Amino acid sequence: MSAYLSFTTITGAPALVNYVTMFGDPAFWSALNVSLFYSLSSTLIAVGVGIGLTYLLTQEIRGKGILEILYILPLAVAPIVVGVLFSPSSVWDDIQQFLHFILGLPYFNELTPSFFFPVIIFSESWEWAPLIMLVALSVVNNIPKQVFEAADLHGATSLQKFRLVVIPAIFKSPVMQFVIVLRFIDAMRAFEIPLAWSNWLGYTTTPGSPVDTISLYLYKLLFSSSQGFPVGVVSAAAITLFAVTLAGTTVLLRLLKTVGG
Amino acid sequence: MDKLKGVSGSTPDKPARAKNGRRRGRLLLYAVAILAAFYSFWPIMIMGLEGYNIDLGPIFAGKALSFQLGGLTFAKRAIIPTPYYYLQALGIEAYPRLVGDTLLVAGIAVALALAVGIPVAYVLARVDVKGKGAIAYLLLALRTVSQYVVIIPLYIAYSKLGLYNSFTGIAIAEQVLILSVVVWMLRGFFSDIPRDIYEAATVFGKNEWQVFKRVVLPMVLPGLVVTVLFALVLLWNEFLIADTLTGVATRTVAVGVWEGMSINQLSFNALAWDSLNAAGFLAYIPAIIVMLAIRRYLAKGFTFGLAS
Repeated sequence: MSAYLSFTTITGAPALVNYVTMFGDPAFWSALNVSLFYSLSSTLIAVGVGIGLTYLLTQEIRGKGILEILYILPLAVAPIVVGVLFSPSSVWDDIQQFLHFILGLPYFNELTPSFFFPVIIFSESWEWAPLIMLVALSVVNNIPKQVFEAADLHGATSLQKFRLVVIPAIFKSPVMQFVIVLRFIDAMRAFEIPLAWSNWLGYTTTPGSPVDTISLYLYKLLFSSSQGFPVGVVSAAAITLFAVTLAGTTVLLRLLKTVGG
Repeated sequence: MDKLKGVSGSTPDKPARAKNGRRRGRLLLYAVAILAAFYSFWPIMIMGLEGYNIDLGPIFAGKALSFQLGGLTFAKRAIIPTPYYYLQALGIEAYPRLVGDTLLVAGIAVALALAVGIPVAYVLARVDVKGKGAIAYLLLALRTVSQYVVIIPLYIAYSKLGLYNSFTGIAIAEQVLILSVVVWMLRGFFSDIPRDIYEAATVFGKNEWQVFKRVVLPMVLPGLVVTVLFALVLLWNEFLIADTLTGVATRTVAVGVWEGMSINQLSFNALAWDSLNAAGFLAYIPAIIVMLAIRRYLAKGFTFGLAS
């Protein structure tokens, strides 16, 4: 139905007018750019951090149970609350005070794009790294004990074992590939964290702000647009997002297949 | 000089050095593990503390009660711990109502998703279909659909049907959202049941429905519980659909936390920082308890039947 709506207008203008409007809107291109960069980098960081946490939990250290619980904690925070957590006046306020008074550094400005954009990406990864970790841990549990024993026999250090045995197994696992792709897909539709930040930054109603992902761009277009209720354009953009995500998913799956075999 | 060191190091005291190195390695490992723990729970702890009106900034400044900074006095951010904001959030009429509404919406949505998802997942796991990869890919494609593709048609339809701002309306929309996850997870749990069991049951003359009800359902029950709980957490945290399709009267918790909880001016203001943190923390607690309870099975649920 959305596909149908994307070809219709209230005034009965020619069918492709919505797509023409959309592609002519610089805010749309900026949002598409932001979305792609956001989802790719946050997925990459989440995978990196998740595998790092897996490394820690597969070593022989005490208190693994407690550590695992602590590492999982971010997983259940509502995304909109993640936007609140990493806002300037929550976590960054305290970090600023710490850096300033304990380490004697000058205050930094949280409201510049070179600061807040990495923070937004980081918060997305912060929330989802534990999921990667959980899946990676289950992969590790399925590796036969003999493999590690053989590695020990050859005198492999724990880092070598992890690099040469565990990491290839993780990326070979179809489940892990699936979860990584899933993370990319969900990040393409990311909405809550950018919404919170567009609020902190004062971009509440202007589409095309530097934190607008496609979903947020559509939200602003739909609910605070001067052009009324542009259902056709929004549908067109939603369909385009769907197409882009699907294409990205296909490429990513291919890529993971060739990497992991 | 360097050469000499290398020689003397490589012969007699090699074990000692290796031991030393290992100890240093272990220390480093512990340090990183603890740092990673901080990284994970620090923001959440801040949220919990700020709900109690405890701000860590002044402590770092070395002046807990008030301090001057460039002509600004930070005295009003002094630390006076108070449960006020939590009591306020729990005490006002709005919060319990939000929780009830959310559970109602999520309950309907999960029930709908199960009604559709169980048969689909069962057939996918039970019947040998040729293009297994293609079906997995199709399910993945279902997930790539933007929420707006669901929201806009429903928005228009609901305005005409009078379902806008109704529990049923939101539940139907959210069911679409979680359906793919439910099908995946259930398919994984169904695939875990060995083939022989189906065959044995069929040999004993049971029909398909009896096999499902008597044999498969009891075996898959733990997986079913995990799936339901996971879907409930997803819906508890869901924001976009809940925000766009609800009015003030049918808000869910996530929306309520963000926009301020009350219908009237019964208190809670989204701009009041401590209230926002307290409400966010309260919403977080049940979700994390459920998540921790199912964490062992979650990874198993995420196999989607692909591992077999």
